[in-house]
Amino acid sequence: MTVSTGVSPLPASRGGTPPPRRGMSRWRRRERMIALAAVAPALILALGFMVYPVAYAIFISFHKTNGLRFEFVGLGNYTKLLTDPLLYKVFGTNLLFLVSVPIVIFVALVCSVLLYERIRGWKFYRVLFFVPNVLSTAVIGLMFKTLFAYSGPVNALVVAFGGEPVDFFAGAGTAIFVIVLALVWSGFGYQSLILLSGLSSINPEVFEAAVLDGAGWWRRLWSITLPNIRRVVVLVSILNVLYTFTSLFGFIFVMTAGGPGYDTTTLDYLIYTLAFSSSRLGEGSALAVMVFLFIGGLTLLQLRFFRSADE
Amino acid sequence: MTTNHVGVPKRARLPIGVGLILIAITIVYPVLYLATAAFRTKADYLANPFGLPSEWTFQNFIVLWNNYDLGNALRNSVVVVVIGLVLQLGVAMLAGYALARLDVPGARGINATFVSVMLVPSQVLIIPIYLLLSRIGLVGSLEGLILVYVATGLPFAVFFMTAAFAGVDQNVLEAARVDGAGFWRTLLSVASPMAAPGIATLAVLQFLGMWNELLFAYILLPDNDLRLLTPALAQIGGRFTSDQPLVSAGLIVTALFPMLLLAFASRYVMSGLAASFGR
Repeated sequence: MTVSTGVSPLPASRGGTPPPRRGMSRWRRRERMIALAAVAPALILALGFMVYPVAYAIFISFHKTNGLRFEFVGLGNYTKLLTDPLLYKVFGTNLLFLVSVPIVIFVALVCSVLLYERIRGWKFYRVLFFVPNVLSTAVIGLMFKTLFAYSGPVNALVVAFGGEPVDFFAGAGTAIFVIVLALVWSGFGYQSLILLSGLSSINPEVFEAAVLDGAGWWRRLWSITLPNIRRVVVLVSILNVLYTFTSLFGFIFVMTAGGPGYDTTTLDYLIYTLAFSSSRLGEGSALAVMVFLFIGGLTLLQLRFFRSADE
Repeated sequence: MTTNHVGVPKRARLPIGVGLILIAITIVYPVLYLATAAFRTKADYLANPFGLPSEWTFQNFIVLWNNYDLGNALRNSVVVVVIGLVLQLGVAMLAGYALARLDVPGARGINATFVSVMLVPSQVLIIPIYLLLSRIGLVGSLEGLILVYVATGLPFAVFFMTAAFAGVDQNVLEAARVDGAGFWRTLLSVASPMAAPGIATLAVLQFLGMWNELLFAYILLPDNDLRLLTPALAQIGGRFTSDQPLVSAGLIVTALFPMLLLAFASRYVMSGLAASFGR
């Protein structure tokens, strides 16, 4: 049985206790080497393709480069970006996409409350609402682009009701409207699953007591259900806010390519445009670093808010 | 059923059912609409966007195959995703098992490294990774992309496998060890079968991630004959939106595998996505 102590996380012999037999410690050292060797491939890949690139991105952001020659410009890329009105316009567009957050949460809440009643077939609906979550943003973006095309079904309906066909992707407002719809469609199933798990953790006795006190369904919804999942709703909101800053690329790429002009360009799409359409890799990296810092800061801020609201 | 409360009164069941059906229609109808459009000719579609095809045709799929090389893109996608998945799961299982069950020197620091890089968005990684890969000549090769997919998915995969192996009964592992099973035998014949549901969930999740990925696949494979399915579709959709039945056919091909996965492995898909919450 002495052998089996090898798996315990900490050797008891490290402190003042007498050193173990020599054979034992060699065996233990071998064991630790095997463990390290098992972690090594994953660690090396993560260091090489994630940690190092982040450091390299910071390095690139201080240089003017086309990928071959690097010329140090200090904070030049950052000041250039921060004095460019385009950055503020693009950031404003990102903020516009935040309207999707309350919509997604509202739809997801409705969904989860309906699913929570667990009427017959609820599991089937749960899977069905999940369909958009297994699809690529490129697929969903093209679906909405096709549905809202000039000669597409939505316009056919508009015409059938006596309207003029709308060129949805020719104007900023209508294009953003369609992208927000796509965002809501793609996201609500997953969010309602999370909210549903929040609902399921409410003690059913509370509901029973409420019913005994004569509270109706709506009353229970407002006074028990919603207050009890407040925390989950806050968490879901945080996620959705982050999502609008990091995950719009696929939608923009296939639906509008950032246009018309820069009207639907978001921060993540601007990084791509700077780096790979105009070969301004330094500025692209500087923007990537700033976006990274921004969403990192935002996450910390929201988590802090979340924690203090918790107490 | 256990958490069900007091009751949905009978008369409330109807509005709830109607609500669910309405939401379900907003999901199903667009998908079915595009699925039928894929089997129509352009003229037929434009004459009446709604309604069923006047005659069913495979022409759109044939055009995609012959003129846009979608079959080739499909094959590239399968190669990248299968090899990438096998490598990633293998590496993640090794690391997860060691971190959960063995005495790894510096385990705290290693765990902290994985957790801290888990949230790095791909927009931050794409420029440096593009430059690094082009320096070692791996831009424009499937190997390069496979490497990037394996590596960028690893922090989450290791985290997930660590949790899966931590849930395996320690006594069974001890027993295997007492019986003289070495590292590989314990991992492959004892621990892995017990962690099988977790491994399957991770496989499903990472499959979806790789299959649906757009940015890396588009940037790191610039040649047309090495296109993967998702970027190939994005390009077809970008250029030929006036031919909506053609784009619809491409959409159906690309969406088919994830949907089949959801249909036949919904348990793993849903538990996996619930676990990746907050990634």
